[in-house]
Formats: sequence, C-alpha cells, structure tokens
Amino acid sequence: MAGFMQQIINGLSIGSVYALMAVGYSLVYSIMNFSNFAHGGVIMIGAYIGFFLLAAYKMPFYVAFALAGAGAGLLALIIERVAYSPLRKRKAPFLYFIISAMGASIFLENIVIATIGPTFKTYPKVFSTQPITVGSLSVGRLDLIMFVISAISLAILIFVIEKTKIGMAIRGTAYSVRASALMGVNTDHVIMIVFGLGGLLGGIAGMLFGMKYTVYPQIGFITIKSFIAAVFGGLGSLPGAVIGSVLLGIIETLTSGYLSSQFRDLIAFALLIVVLIVRPMGLMGKFTEDKA
Amino acid sequence: MNILEFNNVTKQFGGLTAVGNVDFQVAKDSIFGLIGPNGAGKTTIFNLITGIYHVTEGEILFEGKRINGLQPYQIAQLGITRTFQNIRLFKKLTIYENILTACHENGNYGIFDAILRNGKYKKQERIMHEKTQTLMEIMGLEDRKDIIAANLPYGWQRRLEIARALASNPKLLLLDEPAAGMNPDETLKLMTLIHEIRKQFKVTMIVIEHHMDLIMGVCDKIMVLNFGQKLAEGTAQEIQENKKVIEAYLGEEEMHC
Amino acid sequence: MDWFYIQGILILAGINLLAVLGLSLLTGFTGLFSFGHAGFMAIGAYTTAIMSVKLHLPFIPSLMIGGLIAALVSLLIGKLTLNLKGDYFCIATLGLGEAIRLILDNVQYLGGARGWPGIPLKTTLLNVVIIDIIGIIILVNLIRSKHGRNMIAIREEEMASQIIGINVFRYKMISLMISAIYAGVAGGMLGHYLGFLQPKMFQIVKSTELTIIVIFGGLGSISGSVLGALVLTSLPEMLRTFAQWRLVVYGIAVIFIMISRPQGLMGGHEFSFHAVKKIISSMFYRKKQRGLGGR
Repeated sequence: MAGFMQQIINGLSIGSVYALMAVGYSLVYSIMNFSNFAHGGVIMIGAYIGFFLLAAYKMPFYVAFALAGAGAGLLALIIERVAYSPLRKRKAPFLYFIISAMGASIFLENIVIATIGPTFKTYPKVFSTQPITVGSLSVGRLDLIMFVISAISLAILIFVIEKTKIGMAIRGTAYSVRASALMGVNTDHVIMIVFGLGGLLGGIAGMLFGMKYTVYPQIGFITIKSFIAAVFGGLGSLPGAVIGSVLLGIIETLTSGYLSSQFRDLIAFALLIVVLIVRPMGLMGKFTEDKA
Repeated sequence: MNILEFNNVTKQFGGLTAVGNVDFQVAKDSIFGLIGPNGAGKTTIFNLITGIYHVTEGEILFEGKRINGLQPYQIAQLGITRTFQNIRLFKKLTIYENILTACHENGNYGIFDAILRNGKYKKQERIMHEKTQTLMEIMGLEDRKDIIAANLPYGWQRRLEIARALASNPKLLLLDEPAAGMNPDETLKLMTLIHEIRKQFKVTMIVIEHHMDLIMGVCDKIMVLNFGQKLAEGTAQEIQENKKVIEAYLGEEEMHC
Repeated sequence: MDWFYIQGILILAGINLLAVLGLSLLTGFTGLFSFGHAGFMAIGAYTTAIMSVKLHLPFIPSLMIGGLIAALVSLLIGKLTLNLKGDYFCIATLGLGEAIRLILDNVQYLGGARGWPGIPLKTTLLNVVIIDIIGIIILVNLIRSKHGRNMIAIREEEMASQIIGINVFRYKMISLMISAIYAGVAGGMLGHYLGFLQPKMFQIVKSTELTIIVIFGGLGSISGSVLGALVLTSLPEMLRTFAQWRLVVYGIAVIFIMISRPQGLMGGHEFSFHAVKKIISSMFYRKKQRGLGGR
C-alpha cells in the first residue's frame, strides 16, 4: 500500500509538470482550433535557457526560472508572428498550421543540435537529493518543488483567465473569435497573449523537466505526451488539460512501477487512442454537431 | 399515391424543439411548397428527410418504406436528393466534372476494372459521359463546360447544383431556396426551369422558398410552418386566404415577393 | 559524385516516392490528413523482412504480403477512427503511428529498439523504378475513374457527396487502405535497401516528412508528388556535408512554403504536354483565358 501511495505521489509530481505544458496546447487550441506542435520546441528551449543560466552563469534558481519562462514566452510569440499569423490572415485550413508548426519544431530541434550539440546535459544540483520522509513515504525535494511551482503557476494562470479583463477577452475569443472581434476585442492581441502565456508556462515546465531528467534536443517530442494529456482531458479545456495531465502522470508512474518502464510511453499512446475512440471530446470537452 | 409521408415527426436539439409533431404527405409527381418565417424548421425538415439529422420521434416513409435511421448516402441511393441553401458545389472542379461525379450511380464497375482500364470500365464510363452531356444540354450549361464551379455567377451556381442533383436520377428532389439571391428575371427563368424539369425527368419536388410568386406559381400544394409546427396546408389559393397564415407570415396588407 | 552515390539517392527518392504516392491519394485527393503513415511503413518493413529472412520467401511476394498486412492494419484503424472529424483523425493517426513504433521497440524477436541487422539487400534501382511506375499507373487510373472522382468529391464537399449517394465512410476507407499498401511496400523496400531496420526510423518525423512532400508538390497533383519526392529527398542528401544545418534550413523552408506558396509546386494541376501547349499558345494569342482545368 505504501508503495502504491509512493507511486501516486510521484505521479502527481510529474503530472503537474505535464499540466504546465498541456495548458499551452489547450490555450492555443481553444482559440485557434489547431494543435500547436511547435510548443514542444518552445519547452525544449526553455529547458536549455534554464540549464545555461544555472550551469554557466550560476544564477539563483528563481531568476533562472523567470528568465527561462520569459525567453520561452518570447520565442512562442515570435513563432506565432512568423509561422502562423500569415496563415491566419489568409484563413488557411488547419493542416497548414500543423505543418508550419512541424517546420518550426524541426527548426528548433536542429538549430540546438547544430549549435549546442546532440548530447545530454545534466543540470547542476540545486536542491539536495536527500528526500523528505513522512512515515513510510518519502518525497524527493525536487519532486515536491516541481509540484509546488507547477501548482502556483497554474493557480496564477487560472486567476488571470477567470478574474482579469485579459482573461475575459481570452474566454470570449475562445467562445467565438468573430463575435469577440465585433464586440471590440482585439483578437490579434488576445492570440499573442495566449501564445506568450503558453510559452511562459512551457519554459518553466521545460526547466523543471530538465532538472528532473536531463536536457537534450529531442525533449520536444517527449512533451507530446503532455499533448496527449490535453486531448485526454478535452482539447481546448483548461481544467481538462490539468486533470488529464495529473491522471496521465499517475497512470505512467503506476505502469513503470508495476509493469515495466518500457511500456510507459506505449500506455500514453494507447490511452490517446482509446480516448479518441470512446470519447473523442475528452473528459471535459464539449461535443459539437455538424450543421447543414 | 404518396411518395413521401411524415408521421408525427419531432426533432429536438437538447431542449429545443425544431420540428414538433409534423404530419404531411407529398403526392407523387407533384410540386410541394414549404414556406414559413426564418427559423420555422423548413431546412430542418430537409435535413431529416435526407438523413443528415436523426428523427427524435415519429417516422418518415418514402414510397411506403421507413427511411429514418438510414445513412444519408443510402437515402440518396433510394432516390432522394437535394440542393442546399448555402450552395455546396465541388468548388474547385469544373461544371462538367461536378455533374460527371454525380453520375457515379449511372455506371457500375469495380476498383480493379478502373485500375486495369478494361472493356467494362470503358463502356460504363462512356454511359456516364453521355448522361453528363445530355444533362449539360438540358440545363443549358454546355458552353460553360470547363469553367471552375467557384468562378460561376451565383444564379448559375444554383442551376449547376440542380443539374448535379438530377444526375443521380432522383425520384424526389428537394430544393432549398433555389431563388435566393436571384434577380426577378433569373427567378422567372427558374420557374420555367422547374416546370421543364418536372416534364423531362418525372420527378417529385419539394421547394422551400421566400419568393411567393415562385411558390404560388409552381406548387400544387403548400404547407406553412411556424415555430416548428404545421400552421396550414392547401393549394396556393387556400393558403393566400387563410387567416392564420396571413397573420403569422404573409402580412396583413399585401404579400411580399 | 560517383554513380554508386547517385544511385543510392535515386533509390531512396524512389522509395519515398512510393509512400508519398499513397499519401497523395489520401491527403491530396480524399482530403484526409495522416501523421501516422510511418507506422504503415514500419509494418510493411518488418512484415516483408519476416517473410524474406525468417520464412525465406522471394522478395516480390514478401513485399506484397508486407503491403497486404499494412492494409489489414489500416482497415482496423480506419474502422475505429475514420468517423472522427478533421483534427481528431489526424491526432489519432499520430497516436497509432507512434504506438506501432513503440510496440516494435519492445519486440525482442525482431531486434527491439536496438534494431535488426542482416536483412538481404534486394532493392535495386531497377525494381524501385518498375514498382514506382506501376504505382503511378495504378494511381492515375484510379483517380480518373468514378472511384477517384468520388474521393475528390469527398475532399471538396463531404456533405454534398453523401447527398449524391457516395458512401463517404467506404471511400475514405478504400483510400486509407490503398495508401497503406503503398506505404507498406515502400517500407519493405527500405528495409531491403538499407539491410537494417530500427523502429526509430519510423518516428513522427518520417510521417511529417511524407506529408510535407505531398503539400510541397501540391495537393491533388500526382506529378507534383513525384517532383516533390525527387527534390525533397535528394536535396537534403546532397547537402549532407552541411550535417545538421540542412535540417535547420529544411525547417525554415517548410514554414516558408506554408506561408508563401501553400498551393505547392503544381498547385493542383498535372504536368501534361497539352497544358504546356495551351499556356504557350495563350502567350501568343491573347485570347480570353479560361481555367486550364487540368486535373
């Protein structure tokens, strides 16, 4: 039983980082109705920024967090301007956005390989590896910090979306881009804010992910699992993305704990397929009927 | 004899009743008009007949057989086809290709016949091309053969959509606002065309339209819908004199065109 | 550049072309987007290798079985996912493609993630060219039949297709199965060219590459797909000396194509001497030009 609880705790910790990544996919999907596969590249760059700030410049970790988030947010904005905004103006079909996103992620991954190199980089130790023990359960310090930082970031995001004027504009635009534009919302700004926010959280998540494991150029494709979590919860729904991520995190740790770590990724993709077949709108998504 | 029957058909979206307990019959070889204010449920009725929406309650009979529950393509293969209010052509194809595509049921050969280009393929393709040619001539489209559908003027797009519908040899043709966006001259031509189609193709038609001239001019029988309910049914004259209809839809003073 | 090197590039381009032709039917002519075709290639590659290495069948029958098994898997996948709308079908194929790869990673009998060396080298330039030509002829004949027209109709306007009696689900399925056969055979040839198979070769990147080629050539154009496969396979190979930088440029090029010439090289038209003549004559006589209608 203690072993089981231990797995749940580990699952919560990694699930919360997935959630931080997944909201980036969901925010963009809720407004632009396409899966932004460049988000993985943005997360990866965030992880690298954090690594260099800590390893080369020996910055305090909270400064590194802030700068990794800011850098990734800025990058997401640039990608939006360069790769999507021209498509948006032309009202191109969703596939063009996806291909453009794939192009951006190929670019990001390979520019890192070409300049920094394809090797794994290990973050310097910021936190002691001594776990915190409560009874028979032990929690790694890093796991705890991952969970706390993710939870705080998500709470701030939810506050922004629910309580501020910007958040209202985002919710309105998600409901109907056209109606919001007619009501005087500058949807172009909203889209930029959404990309910035998604990138910011993605950068922080990337750094947490890098601290837990390592940093390497293909991290972007690993983060596709957070996309699966977003689909699982219901694409376009923020609570869905968070719940889906936490569940995926727990399912993953249970799989590697009780079956084999080799099946961990397979389980994630199997889950994606099952969800799409049984309930394509996900746990929290809404179902839409076609009109003639 | 009735070609189509609605028996107490209801369609609900969530809590909203779009069509409530509607009953009507369409006689074979007749032209049946469907009128009513916007949002009365006219297009919903077309969507129910063609299987795009599923009936919540009641049944729809076509030639005495129940068709609700069938897939749209199955209903089409039984002989019901339609046009759309917001024209749905194969936009990037030419006029000829639009009609030829719709002729697919006129020729029958398998995938392997196509890959091998055998005699059967050639013979059946010839039949389909001939049918397309004939339709182009009847509909007066033959000298515009190679124009891309999206580049056609509005009125001609509507005409092409009717031609495409006729390509599948329908027994029942549903026209959803065929005169929308047409000028009076084009509307007049459309009326002639509808009469012509009836004579040439022996097809029963149901027409949704807001142009009262057209409805009164071509329909044998008219049904008026209001808020998803049947308000009245009868000949053009009976409808024009019906008090309820005048109140709800046609207006006190004079009918609008 | 010696002949051996050029031959190698041509074989790779020819193998890619076969997979691209299949995807062209699905994406360019039926309007369905797949990010899982590398999965069908993987199934074809491993099945063909099992047939020839473990069961000692000749090359061509092995390839056919490879294509057939890929088609069977696509039938199963199609039954489950073809009813999903737009984006979701695309995501489902992505998940399935990755799932196939991850399963192969864990099958130790086939070498697992480490790979499977020692596959006989049976793919030659000659048999690649022959299979490509057969593939093109089949595709052209199919497109110019009522079955091909029904698929194009679905791409253009799905609801109208149903209304004129086209069984949309069935035609999407046929299109998916044929494209899976092409991908499967291409995978089989790839394994027997490299002499080595590894699940890593069939990542999402491979699926994306195929889709990018189809779009680069122009949706709904077979000649565009041929041209696209030749250019986009050989160019990066020739730039191999620039190592990683070529992929950096590739990424930028993809974005650039999307935002500047989304209709692709051929813009939905086919290359034909008739069309060329028409263009030239319209240059000389300034007649009122009508749509070329070359499709």
